[in-house]
Amino acid sequence: MSTDRIIQFELARLNVHLPERQITLKEALSSPAPHVVARDGSKHKFERGELEFLKEIVPPSDWDSLRLPILIVINPKLGRGAAEIAGRPEVEVVSSVLKKEARGDEMVIYRPEVAVLRAKLPTTTQYLFMVG
Amino acid sequence: MSFKIAVVADGETVTGFALAGVLETHVHVNKEETLAKLDELFASKEVGVVIITHRVAEALGSEFRRRVRVKKLLPAVLRIPDKTGWVPRVDELQEIIRRTVGAEITVKEGG
Amino acid sequence: MAKAVGITPTRMELLRLRQRVALAQKGHDLLREKMDALVIEFFGIVRRIRDARVKAMRRLEAAYHALSLCFALQGTIETHQAAREARKELVVDISTRHVMGILVPVFDVRPIERHALARGYSLYATSSALDEASREFEKVLGGLLKLAELEEGARVIALELEKTKRRVNALKYVILPGLKAMVKFISMRLDEMERENFSRLKRIKAMLEARE
Repeated sequence: MSTDRIIQFELARLNVHLPERQITLKEALSSPAPHVVARDGSKHKFERGELEFLKEIVPPSDWDSLRLPILIVINPKLGRGAAEIAGRPEVEVVSSVLKKEARGDEMVIYRPEVAVLRAKLPTTTQYLFMVG
Repeated sequence: MSFKIAVVADGETVTGFALAGVLETHVHVNKEETLAKLDELFASKEVGVVIITHRVAEALGSEFRRRVRVKKLLPAVLRIPDKTGWVPRVDELQEIIRRTVGAEITVKEGG
Repeated sequence: MAKAVGITPTRMELLRLRQRVALAQKGHDLLREKMDALVIEFFGIVRRIRDARVKAMRRLEAAYHALSLCFALQGTIETHQAAREARKELVVDISTRHVMGILVPVFDVRPIERHALARGYSLYATSSALDEASREFEKVLGGLLKLAELEEGARVIALELEKTKRRVNALKYVILPGLKAMVKFISMRLDEMERENFSRLKRIKAMLEARE
């Protein structure tokens, strides 16, 4: 039975880094120390350089609707190595970083693309694991 | 949170970093004293990073590696060459890569 | 064939086992995704270390060179004296960043060059060589701190990666096959019991018919 408990524990731990609440790009840009608070109470800081980069590629009308960190949703149902991005402004950011055509509120990206995205935006993106 | 920087090295290297205003310095003379100092630095809640020369780290051997393995997240440990530029043949990071990912990847490069 | 030690072949037990298989399978799939993501993070950080190292090592060489010059021009005793007198005030702001449930340090690296007058050593003894050496070491520290942050991050991520890999392998090669074998054993045993039951019923029926 204890193996079940280890699995439960590991699954519960997968998402402790996620913020209690996301903040908008606008909020982040106007904060002297832009950060979110994770579920376990720890701080997660956004790097100024990334915010400046986002400011360049996101139209000002979307600064209020782009929510940070952008979530890279890992869902095993999509198959190994696939991830989802949800939300129109978020999809636009990701498609611009990856130079990959995308429309609408959702897009699916694959492992090499996740790597590019993570390299470009290490603090302003985060993984979310769909435990279901 | 603000943390102190510590440098553990030969006298000359320590002098250079002291000129820059580093708060904690230790000149390596013998193993016992340096290990005792490292225990103190690793236990301290005020020290954020310990910079140590490869040569001193090598002189301390497994005693040093064991302490690095069991230490908390902070202080971070950074090994640097001294003025002779000496670095060990086996790069620590490359070892980690081989162990964890099973791939040979070059990290050195002019280092 | 599974060892039948300690399991009772009942419908209830079979149901419970199937749930455990589902949990283990989900755990395996998700932890494997985490493992893949950690590999991405790890190589990302290794690439940044490579760049940061080249830069920092170049700076460090320049600093050692300036220090040697200072020893030569200013004198060894005087240089050591100035180092003792130099104002020790250097601190670094450190926070943490989450990478999939692992805490990695983030150093807030700002330029730390000081004005010659702010360094604190007595000016009567100073020379441009001393200032130069001090400035070079102040400059190199920024790069070294960045490197320390990255290397510590790589170490922490590698540890988690190893742990996750062990878990994924245990699930794949030990736990899941074990559970599946037990499911198979119980369902076979239940089938067998059903057949026995069936033939017993048939016998009873035959006996009853013979009596009529």
